[in-house]
Amino acid sequence: MTAFMQQIINGLSIGSVYALMAVGYSLVYSIMNFSNFAHGGVIMMGAYIGFFLLTAFKLPFLIAFGLAGVGTGVLALVIERIAYSPLRKRNAPFLYFIISAMGASIFLENIVVATIGPTFKTYPRIFSPEPIAVGNLSIGRLDLIMCVISTISLAALIYVIEKTKVGTAIRATAYSVRASALMGVNTDQIIMIVFGLGGLLGGIAGVLFGMKYTVYPQIGFITMKSFIAAVFGGLGSLPGAVIGSILLGIIETLTSGYISSQYRDLIAFALLIFILIVRPIGLMGKTTEDKA
Amino acid sequence: MRRRIYLIVLAALLVVTLGVAGCTPKPAQENTAGPASAEVVKVGWIGSLTGDQAVWGQCELNTVKMMFEEINAKGGLLGKQVEVIGYDTRGDAAEAVNAVKRLTSQDKVAAIIGPNASGQAIAISSVLEEMKVPDIATVATNPKVTVVDGNVKPFNFRVCFIDPYQGAVAAGYAVDVLNLKKAAILYDVADDYSQGLTEFFEKTFVEKGGEIVAKEAFKSGDVDFRPQLSKIKEANPEIIFMPYFFKEVALSANQARELGINAVLMGGDGWPSDVLIEMAKDAIEGSYIVNHLDFNDPEVQGFKDAYKAKYGLAVELNGYMAYDAVKLLEAAVNKANSVDPITIKDALETSSVKGITGQITISKDTHNPEGKDAAIIKMVNGEYVFQQKYSTK
Repeated sequence: MTAFMQQIINGLSIGSVYALMAVGYSLVYSIMNFSNFAHGGVIMMGAYIGFFLLTAFKLPFLIAFGLAGVGTGVLALVIERIAYSPLRKRNAPFLYFIISAMGASIFLENIVVATIGPTFKTYPRIFSPEPIAVGNLSIGRLDLIMCVISTISLAALIYVIEKTKVGTAIRATAYSVRASALMGVNTDQIIMIVFGLGGLLGGIAGVLFGMKYTVYPQIGFITMKSFIAAVFGGLGSLPGAVIGSILLGIIETLTSGYISSQYRDLIAFALLIFILIVRPIGLMGKTTEDKA
Repeated sequence: MRRRIYLIVLAALLVVTLGVAGCTPKPAQENTAGPASAEVVKVGWIGSLTGDQAVWGQCELNTVKMMFEEINAKGGLLGKQVEVIGYDTRGDAAEAVNAVKRLTSQDKVAAIIGPNASGQAIAISSVLEEMKVPDIATVATNPKVTVVDGNVKPFNFRVCFIDPYQGAVAAGYAVDVLNLKKAAILYDVADDYSQGLTEFFEKTFVEKGGEIVAKEAFKSGDVDFRPQLSKIKEANPEIIFMPYFFKEVALSANQARELGINAVLMGGDGWPSDVLIEMAKDAIEGSYIVNHLDFNDPEVQGFKDAYKAKYGLAVELNGYMAYDAVKLLEAAVNKANSVDPITIKDALETSSVKGITGQITISKDTHNPEGKDAAIIKMVNGEYVFQQKYSTK
């Protein structure tokens, strides 16, 4: 039983990182109906910005953390302006957006390889690695902090989307870009805001990921898993992205804990494909209702 | 018009991206002896200059360059100046094959040093045999690098001992010296090196009367090992064998301690690195490493200091192995009294040289250095502390 509980805790901890990354995919998808693969690159840049603020400038953790989020928010906006906005203005097919996004992602990865270097970097130790023991279970301090930060960020995001005027506009745009524009919503601005928000969360996710593991140019590959989690939860649905991510984390840990660690990805992803066959829109995906 | 400008910008961007990505392996660094000397002999080097193992690859290339500069200053190999041509394999077997093709067909090298990784060293054999150029691998410890199905590969050599030996030494030391009888293994299922060590650790450990209580796998690129470690914790081992590279070692060791696992950790030559100590100093305290040499051996200090003075960095394990690969090549060239690749290959088969990691006597039947002792190293206060020379024979 203890082992099972420990595996659930491990799964939650892995899932909460996926969740922070996955909402970025979901947010953009809900408005623009395409998968923003450049998000992986943004997350990676967030991890690097946080790393340099902490090591080279020796900023306090919270300030570095905030600045990394702002930095990636701006980066996401720049990517939108350069890579997507011109396509959007000419009503290009969605495939072009995806290609453009992949290009941006590869570009970011290689610019880091070429300038900062290909080897991984380690964050300075900010929190004690001593775990908190609850009975026979051990919970990492960093995991707890990650969980808290993820929850606060996601709650704030949901508040913005559900309770504010901007949020109403985002939801309206998600429902129909054309109709919202006709109703006087500045959809261009809304799209910028959505990219900014996605980038901000991506930066936070990047710093947390870097602190927990390491920073390296190929972090983007890990974010593929969070993208899959977002699809699994239902692309375009924020609660879906969160639930999908946490479920993926738990499925992964339980597979390696009770079936076979060697076949973890094989079994976990076969299960996901099965779920998508049964329910193609994902767990909480909605096709016609509001999506944010 | 606007559309055209846009297309031009896009094309320009693509070109820039291609340039940054660098699709073809470019000469990473060259060390030209100068056009003055008419007779130049080229020696190739391949290894990772990008990716997780870039730290090691760079150290090897630095060492090889430094050694040949010294040899050139003393008059070169058989009176010929040596030019080192290094190519990046990006840690990828296919890139390694391309690099060897280029070294043998375009650059026409006399011999190749490297790579450090077994996966790449195994992949390049067919090209070496086709082009008839010998290769001396540095830290490629998988048996298949030089011998497949009992047949020795004619052009592959190495200066390190092999995985069965390393895995067997680790298991023997754990049971016979440390007296630990319950072991768990965590290994990388996608890596030949890790699988080789695992197989022979398990075999020797069981033969010596120990018990493997858990055997868990992960895949290269994973960063979270807690599900596997939680399962290992349930089995309650006395020792955990971790036969993989320092990045994963650091992450998994930290996570093991986080989960409250107190077992002794043990690993192979994939461990030693300053990065490991930086990342996981506390977690690996008291761990044991099977290594090729003792870093504090008085005999290695001269090279260690010279390297530090030249590059301002500490030598990684790969540097010592690259040092011995160059020494072996030098000995073989002198013995052959020729820089013809096939003659060098014949001379390598019976060469013996006193290397920095011990006496290297190549066996004609296996192309491995036979009878090399392993060094057992213990981590004490973030330092590598030599315990003893150990062999299972």
